[in-house]
Amino acid sequence: MDVRFTQSGIYLPEIDLWLDNTEPCACTWISHGHSDHARGCHGQVITTPMTLRFYRMRLWMSETDIEPLQRPLAFGESMDWHSARLTAFPASHILGAAQLLIEYKNERVVYTGDIKLRQPLAGETTEPLQCDRLIIESTFGLPIYKLLDRETAMRAIVRFARECLADGLTPVFIGYALGRGQEIVHVLCEAGIPTAVHGAIARFIPVYEECGYRFAGWQPYEAKATKGKALVVVPSHGAALETSGKDIRVAYVSGWAALDNARTRSGAEELIPYSDHADFDELLSLVATSHAKHIDVVHGYTEPFAHILRTRGYTAAAPQRAGDRTSIEAEG
Amino acid sequence: MDALAAVCEDIQRHASRLKKVGILAEYFKTLSDEDLALAVQFLSAGPVARASANQTLFKIHEKAELKIGGSVLREALRAATGWDKETLSLCHAQVGDTGETISLLMRGLSTGGPMTLTEADRLYQTLFQASNTARRVALLAEIFHKYQPLTLKYFVKVITRGLRIGLMGRQVKEALALAGRHDRLSAMEAQLFEPTDFMLAKPLERVEDLDDPAAWCVEDKYDGIRAQVHFDQGTVRIFSRGLDEVTTAFPDIVAACAGLPGSGLIDGEILAWRDGRALNFNILQRRLAKKQVRATLIAEIPTLFMAYDLLLRNDELLLKEPFSTRRARLAELPLAISPQHSAQSHADIDRLFAEARARGNEGLLLKKPDGAYEPGKRTGAWLKLKRPYGTLDVVITAAEQGNGRRATVFSDYTFGVRSANGFVNVGKAYSGLTDAEIKDLTKQLRAASVEKFGRMMLVKPEIVLEVAFDGVQQSTRHKGGYALRFPRILRWRKDKRAEDCDSIEQVEALYRASIAVKP
Repeated sequence: MDVRFTQSGIYLPEIDLWLDNTEPCACTWISHGHSDHARGCHGQVITTPMTLRFYRMRLWMSETDIEPLQRPLAFGESMDWHSARLTAFPASHILGAAQLLIEYKNERVVYTGDIKLRQPLAGETTEPLQCDRLIIESTFGLPIYKLLDRETAMRAIVRFARECLADGLTPVFIGYALGRGQEIVHVLCEAGIPTAVHGAIARFIPVYEECGYRFAGWQPYEAKATKGKALVVVPSHGAALETSGKDIRVAYVSGWAALDNARTRSGAEELIPYSDHADFDELLSLVATSHAKHIDVVHGYTEPFAHILRTRGYTAAAPQRAGDRTSIEAEG
Repeated sequence: MDALAAVCEDIQRHASRLKKVGILAEYFKTLSDEDLALAVQFLSAGPVARASANQTLFKIHEKAELKIGGSVLREALRAATGWDKETLSLCHAQVGDTGETISLLMRGLSTGGPMTLTEADRLYQTLFQASNTARRVALLAEIFHKYQPLTLKYFVKVITRGLRIGLMGRQVKEALALAGRHDRLSAMEAQLFEPTDFMLAKPLERVEDLDDPAAWCVEDKYDGIRAQVHFDQGTVRIFSRGLDEVTTAFPDIVAACAGLPGSGLIDGEILAWRDGRALNFNILQRRLAKKQVRATLIAEIPTLFMAYDLLLRNDELLLKEPFSTRRARLAELPLAISPQHSAQSHADIDRLFAEARARGNEGLLLKKPDGAYEPGKRTGAWLKLKRPYGTLDVVITAAEQGNGRRATVFSDYTFGVRSANGFVNVGKAYSGLTDAEIKDLTKQLRAASVEKFGRMMLVKPEIVLEVAFDGVQQSTRHKGGYALRFPRILRWRKDKRAEDCDSIEQVEALYRASIAVKP
């Protein structure tokens, strides 16, 4: 099947379908609800019902725009699209994140989107798929990235919060607005620690609650009332808090926290290497179980990861396209 | 070593220096004397070769280098992991630290046996004795396989001599004191061929503040490079104030000290020297810039080591001896020794200050004849008198978050002066303001922020500071072509606006005046 890699997304001309196109187009598959994917006023969008919710929360239309046609595709469900068959499978990156299986003329192509294998807080666990061609991300595609499992990370979060509060300091957790942020809030609430949540994270909590996750007793963040509470904020706000000179200690919860230099980069004292992305070993395992004859690495350490796959006997390429993101701001 | 690694990781998790010292002190309390000696050595000095029965001390110093650099470690890691060069170098570039890279890549590959401090020392000694690179690579690869990744991280950091956990030598000493292990403290103070912290002088604001001028030894304060010469029967090594080794930059000083009898550790100052006087620091700097110097440069800018204190002599530790005794012992050596003067009155001090300035020196140093040598301390047993060379009103153009206690505020300021093309930077200042002022200033700076890069931000040039400084030098780093030496903040000039600050022409005039030969 013809697969074209462009700056704004991946295009499948034979069936006229885009994958995660960031520019407005006739029809795109959206892998998950982060703002760099679930965006743009397209003619049609195909995605999971949950991602559609996030997409609608982010959708911004001008007066001349026409409401996109929204086609929900639940996990395990299939639909016919031109002469292909599309099926969604869980990717457990964030709530609603999905892999897409495209079956076309006896070829199975899988696009992982952003993915991890480990058990997520919310949503279903990833089902590794077999295919002929695998299009996979590689945010943490270097062997230095081995991340904590959910249980260990959650224990580290609670331990840090309790340690700070016992010292009379305010623990501040930096997490991303959708996904990591809610996980941190959830674990703090479950542990009975008073928690104040930044608005950018709080706005998605009701969606999680509808899915049955409990968030008992959190409060909206207020600059003047932080004493005795754990704060959960987004990265930009974490930097502001840090320079405000309050008695705080900052924990950075991110895959990038796997390296000590994340301290200087983020200003945090505690590093908790936990991510919504697969770490290096998970990526290798996804590749191995796919039995794919060809692998395209599309995101993150694309060329280095493709090189590593080639040294292990796979046929792998890092298709050239501008705008690959490897910087610390990029994750999530 | 396993426990030391865990302690280092914990120290790294805390920005508070007090907390770091506390954690280390608790650990020190659990150690036997032998283990404590090793732990302190690994934390501060790195691995040290020990003499076997048939080696003389002299021979050890010749062999005292581990000869393990980045390439040996990379080679060993390649052998231990099977990763190719490209992948390894990319990993290393992301991590930025060899020990950490090794520990990250050995996860799941090493068998994780225990490593005590004694075992670590034994491994270092084996590496010292390894006869060639191939042997060292093989030994390291074997070590990488055998021990826990976290332990390997610090085992290697000790070799590469950089723990990078925000722990300074002074804090190791504080932790020893806190743990009640003062016995170890004295052994840390001076060791041959290990750079020691320099004793520092307290600034004396006004001559009149001096109680009894007759109670002090008076020397010129030189404007050179503070340095330690370590020598032992022909072997000479020179360390500068940053505790960097600068031996190769000064072969003329090495030659001059090679003939010194016995062994010793001398404190003094490297000066560019001609016709019996020190040349301007700007000239000396051209020597420091070179790692290897040509004979022509040595002839053009000859240097001299002006000795003024003696810390060790033939294995005898002199730190606790009174200054007068140390100075008398120093005088037995055939060296240039900083001339001493005495004063009876405040007026004498003023006169000596003027004379020192006329000789091209910075000012005066006053030393108590009965004072001990206290490394790294500014106790007031030494005083410095060095009125500022000048003051300027400058404007802040960029600010950076500080470290430790100042990590949450903008405490480091890049500043500039007016020029035809807008403001040009002439220096960076850290000190001089109170915590309250810094907090206030941080608010103002955040409001004036134009662009942020990590912990640094550019600001609209609108906040004026008055800075004092000790000289002007040419600079390729700053656009204006000049940099102020040792700038410190005198005041935040809230009464002034950016357009009221001084200009690059004034800086240039000060520089011209400074290189003109003084009478």
